[in-house]
Amino acid sequence: MFFLKEMEKTIQLHPSYFGPLIRSHIHRELLTKEEGSSTGKFTIVCILDSFEISDGQVIPGTGSAEYTVHYKAIVWRPYKGEVMDGVVTSVIRAGFFVDCGSLQAFVGRNMIPSDIKFDPAATPPQWTDNAEQVIEKGTNIRIKIKGLRSEVDKMYAIGTMKEVCRP
Amino acid sequence: MKIRSPPGVQYPITVEELAKKRDDAVQRSDLLLTYSYEATVTEIDKYGETSEVKKRWSVRFNSSADGVIAKWFVQKGAVIARAGIDIVEIEEPCTHEIQFGSMCVNCGKDMTESDYLTEQRNVDRARINMTHNNVALLVSQKEAAMAEEDSKRRLLDAKKLSLIVDLDQTVIHTTCERTIAEWQSDPDNPNYEALKDVKGFQLADDNVAHVAANWYYVKMRPGLKDFFDRISTMYEMHVYTMATRAYAQEVAKIIDPQRRYFGDRILSRDENYTDKLKSLQRLFPTKTDMVVIIDDRADIWHYSDNLVRVPVFNFFPGAGDINASFLPKQQELVTATAKVASPERAAANDKARDEEPTNGILTEIEQQLLSMKGDDAPEVLEQQQKEQEKVIITQQTERPLLQQQLWLDKEDEAAEETEESIEPKDGEIPSHEHHKHRHAVLHNDDRGLDVIEENLRRVHQAFYAEYIQKRKTTLPQAGRVLELKGEKSPKKRSMGGEHVPDIKDLMPRMKHEVLGGTNIVFSGIIPLGMDVQFSDFALWIKSFGATVSLNVTKQTTHVIANPDRKTTKVKRAARFPNIKIVNAEWMLQCCTQWKHVDETPYIIEMDAADRSGSPFEDLEDDDVGVTGDEEGDESESPVQVEISDEKWQSIGDELQDFLDESDDNGDSPSDSDSVRSDTSTHSDSKRNKRKRKRLTGTASADGSDEDSDASVDSGSKLQKRKKRAMERVTSLNNVVTGDKSSGLPSPETTGPEEGQGEDEGTVPDPTSLSREDGSEDDEDEDDDGLAAEMLAELKKSESEE
Repeated sequence: MFFLKEMEKTIQLHPSYFGPLIRSHIHRELLTKEEGSSTGKFTIVCILDSFEISDGQVIPGTGSAEYTVHYKAIVWRPYKGEVMDGVVTSVIRAGFFVDCGSLQAFVGRNMIPSDIKFDPAATPPQWTDNAEQVIEKGTNIRIKIKGLRSEVDKMYAIGTMKEVCRP
Repeated sequence: MKIRSPPGVQYPITVEELAKKRDDAVQRSDLLLTYSYEATVTEIDKYGETSEVKKRWSVRFNSSADGVIAKWFVQKGAVIARAGIDIVEIEEPCTHEIQFGSMCVNCGKDMTESDYLTEQRNVDRARINMTHNNVALLVSQKEAAMAEEDSKRRLLDAKKLSLIVDLDQTVIHTTCERTIAEWQSDPDNPNYEALKDVKGFQLADDNVAHVAANWYYVKMRPGLKDFFDRISTMYEMHVYTMATRAYAQEVAKIIDPQRRYFGDRILSRDENYTDKLKSLQRLFPTKTDMVVIIDDRADIWHYSDNLVRVPVFNFFPGAGDINASFLPKQQELVTATAKVASPERAAANDKARDEEPTNGILTEIEQQLLSMKGDDAPEVLEQQQKEQEKVIITQQTERPLLQQQLWLDKEDEAAEETEESIEPKDGEIPSHEHHKHRHAVLHNDDRGLDVIEENLRRVHQAFYAEYIQKRKTTLPQAGRVLELKGEKSPKKRSMGGEHVPDIKDLMPRMKHEVLGGTNIVFSGIIPLGMDVQFSDFALWIKSFGATVSLNVTKQTTHVIANPDRKTTKVKRAARFPNIKIVNAEWMLQCCTQWKHVDETPYIIEMDAADRSGSPFEDLEDDDVGVTGDEEGDESESPVQVEISDEKWQSIGDELQDFLDESDDNGDSPSDSDSVRSDTSTHSDSKRNKRKRKRLTGTASADGSDEDSDASVDSGSKLQKRKKRAMERVTSLNNVVTGDKSSGLPSPETTGPEEGQGEDEGTVPDPTSLSREDGSEDDEDEDDDGLAAEMLAELKKSESEE
């Protein structure tokens, strides 16, 4: 699910950036560092334009300046039970991997409808019901999150296809 | 899941009551049973008097798993005496066989949770990673076995085997030098032809070198596409590389654009748990019966029996393996170090070649030891990355290829023809075809794949021939037995693993036929200070059935020598026509082609002077007397000679001739009255084949034998001592021979083995061994002393004459 979230970030700038373009430097730094990053709970999807930069403070000893930036961002946080769209990245005997943005999910053998079988002989290997349903690398797929676990800056999900629509 | 009596409880305990019946559903932390135990406690009554009282306590025992009770192993009133006794079996709805990111794939539960009830953490149920491109997916032993059984069946049906393919220097060669791009766009360049199929790529997220937009240029080994086409009908191929994932992916795109050969079966350093070794168990955790590996390095596979070692593919001279800094340091050979270097350096080396081998080799070994010992400590990794960075930057800035080409051009102008080199690793030595009057640094004549293909084909054929054979012989029987036993499903059994041959047995067997019965001595090949038996070359050739000795003995059939240098061992071997003195190329050819190639083209020519012996050694060749134990050995003579008697006879005759000759011009003690029926025992009495009864009349054929060298004069204490020492040396070797588990030079290299590879003019120092303390410090002194003693002996015998 997507949220609008207010956040704060401390940015250090090297003295060589001090000058009339300092604001854009900070902006760029913020975008490159934060956008797309995952905290383990949610992923920052997009930083909104309006943000506040505090007065800079030179750090004793280094000469770098520290700025605190307040900004708003659209963040995405997956929930258990949520239905998501994703792209299949890898197909193996035990199931297949799905990338849903920053979240990597795995759909196990038992979570795939029983009419869809694994075909190791196909190149590349695929899950298929020998009709129009083929799950191979690159397939767009819709799954439901059955389990979710977050580690530091990484999230894992278990997906299922049994309770949602087919690809 | 079975619940057992827990540790940390005061046993014995008595079961008071079972709270659940069979087939009851239980939830985690539900009451399973109550038990009681007895303990003595100290009670203080109201008057302040203490007393020891025995008391019974009742305790509730909770379930540590969800599920249905399948079976009780205890009844009410039962007494449990110790921990670890089965109490109840609970059938779980999900056994968490497959886990992804520490969650069960089937029920989605977090596996890392643990509380007071946890006996075995759920994450420990699935510990095996058998996925190529993911480290988060783990499976249990049972699941892994099932998956492998599945794939085995599939492979057998398709008549295929699994093949693990290494990338760098096996099927491709990569460099970062941007000279390649310049040459590619210049049709006048002499290297243009060879570079036609070189493809370049950039890695988007290349933080390896901290150099923006680093280009990699990949050259496919000639004939790679056809090779894959043909091999993929016999093998299911996997990529296993020590490069990064991104790199492996890009290379896979180049060598397998349709992903027909490898699919997603690509394993890179990112998914390999260690940086040092490649492990079959990483991909095939339980069964490696049907796996063949091709790689140019054997040490990182721990000299696995599944390995087909291939000749190194070295297209860009001096580029090496750009991912090699993550691997343990390769053992370098003397000849290789001298020539692989860039031309300028090589030129300099020509002068300094003699010093070369001794320099820096110890540090090399130290480094290797260090790197092998290396844990995955971050600083080690950092260092490796820096090393790789350095390699890449060097390639980018110094442009060794360009330098080489310039050097070549200059040489062309001077109209010089460099000599064709016979050096094995010198696939990269500049070619000599004239191409627009300029020589090319790169040339496209590697034929390594043909040999690999031939070997793989042979393994495949042998495997399935044996498989079909075994099925034929065992199947009907098994079926009948099953029928008699009245078992239900013979079909199911017939797929069982009994008929499937094991590559680990099959391949060594095939390889052993190649050089079986040969006895190899290295000379001037393996750097000083390295344990010969554990050197890369020795381990390699031993896997083909050859035995490796330290010294030239009468069993010796081949001496592999450095053509540039005449070592003592070569000189000694030169006097025996039956010993073939060949260069290292012969061995490489044998080991890559898997056949005993004809030695003739590889023979190192010896001049006549070398063919005749020095008087000093003649003395030793003559056996004046034998010692007691030798006679004892003679009586029991189970001869197991690899060489036929006729051959021995002829060898003896030749020797006789030779000895007569030397007798004519030399004044060495005559062998006319020497005891000819002597037997030289080769220390190692356990091995019968080493004992050999000498035919009377074949005069002193044992001149080639170190042992009999020693038995010149029964009266000489010195010689006896030497002989004893030699015995010890050889028995030491034999112990070592059997063990090839490690590619490392053993750290506790013993005295005599040191310097064996390169002993220029020194006899292996026996005296230091003969003494019990065997201190190595005064080795040189001993050596000198020995030489002096021997000289004295010689003079004495001469004067007696």
